[in-house]
Amino acid sequence: MTESRKIDVGEGAAIPNRNDWGLFNAWVISIVGAITAIIYLLISRPDPYQRLLVYLGDGIVITFKVTIVSIICACGIGLITGLGRVSKNKAINLVASTYVEIIRGIPLLVQLFYIYYALGRFLNVPDLTAAIIAMSVCYGAYMGEVFRAGITAIDKGQTEAARSLGLNGRQTMFMVILPQAWRTILPPVGNEFIALLKDTSLVSILAVADLLRRGREFSSETFLYFETYTMVALVYLVITLILSKGVSIMEARLSHYVRR
Amino acid sequence: MSAASQSIVEISHVHKNFGALKALNNVSLSLNLGEKVVIIGPSGSGKSTLLRSINKLETVDAGTIIVDGQDINDPATDINKLRMELGMVFQSFNLFPHKTVLENLTLAPIKLKGLTKGEADAIALKLLEKVGIMDKAHVYPSRLSGGQQQRVAIARALAMSPKIMLFDEPTSALDPEMIGEVLDVMVTLAKEGMTMAVVTHEMGFAREVADRVVFMDHGAIIEEGTPEHFFQSPENDRTKLFLSQIL
Repeated sequence: MTESRKIDVGEGAAIPNRNDWGLFNAWVISIVGAITAIIYLLISRPDPYQRLLVYLGDGIVITFKVTIVSIICACGIGLITGLGRVSKNKAINLVASTYVEIIRGIPLLVQLFYIYYALGRFLNVPDLTAAIIAMSVCYGAYMGEVFRAGITAIDKGQTEAARSLGLNGRQTMFMVILPQAWRTILPPVGNEFIALLKDTSLVSILAVADLLRRGREFSSETFLYFETYTMVALVYLVITLILSKGVSIMEARLSHYVRR
Repeated sequence: MSAASQSIVEISHVHKNFGALKALNNVSLSLNLGEKVVIIGPSGSGKSTLLRSINKLETVDAGTIIVDGQDINDPATDINKLRMELGMVFQSFNLFPHKTVLENLTLAPIKLKGLTKGEADAIALKLLEKVGIMDKAHVYPSRLSGGQQQRVAIARALAMSPKIMLFDEPTSALDPEMIGEVLDVMVTLAKEGMTMAVVTHEMGFAREVADRVVFMDHGAIIEEGTPEHFFQSPENDRTKLFLSQIL
């Protein structure tokens, strides 16, 4: 019955904690460094770099599109999956659990190919839409596990208090449990957002002209591989850092009722 | 059966097992309108399980529980509606931490009784005044002491205007200096004629308030009687032993 010790390993960029000056400094150093490096490159060698950044512009827009739409869809799928995973209805529970098992057992890249070509072949879905659906279906499963963990982490007494007042199961979930769970799951959800943003680079293998694919196209025309991927990496870094800061600000705003 | 027509809670031959443990073993108990019953007993005796089975937070394995004329285990009974008649106060308060004190009180009345926010607020403020913490209406529960939180929890239950109040060890999680303020509220409530079932270790409260004291051990009711009978001339040896340990 000894409880095994768990270590907490974050994925993606660490979410800056307002109270942790070490991390805060790491965030500042990274973002200031990345932006400084981009500006320096643009000024010191305007020829390939300015042309390159303009060329990458469309790709950045596509990367944002894929990320934002996929995040919204994955959150929706994740919420439904998470509710299914904690449902007392055995059939619903089984469907949700099976979905999670299957998705978690297949590499994202393989899923991307599979969904992309399956949708393309049978339903004639446009490239960008197919990529977004693939990302959403995959991340919906991961998000579902985060939602499930967040819901089950809320003290049982909260449910009992709500039910004893006469609220039904659904009212209890949406008015008492989820508003509290949202706060505890925001850090892991934020990490999923950031991981998803980075994983959108995988769609470059499909015919989606995201940031990475635009970089590949540019470098194969100009043979400026080093310059291209330096810029691509810096742009990803800046976007990721801004997103992680946004998540930490949201987290601070949601925890207003907790005494610090 | 004039006595039965008065009874608002009628528990008959109830059994409940947790695995091999017999939490409730053929327990029968009735509660009349306006009556205050205090349930005492050692920990693990089944007294909390009995109380929680009245509003179906625990489902019994056998036996019947009739509340306000309705069998709570009958599938046709709307348990959510019935629970509105049964206020419940927990050992660990269980206030909603993401809502202010006022919102804790008004959530259920607005949602379930269809009151407007204004009507619900008015009732809630009156109740907060009654439990002595009107000035804390707009703060979050984490800012309150344990005693204040428990008084809010009592007010929250009262906001639904229940017919019966169930108290599950309401002072057991409190620091000693805060027990009095919660008991005072409960005594006031008792004097107003509220029907109450209270699981507690506070013998002073039992003596002052109870119409009837019920002693439970090993999932069964061992002895039942008036406070005078109980504290002056208990009959059962186990009751005597328990009282000698606790008093």
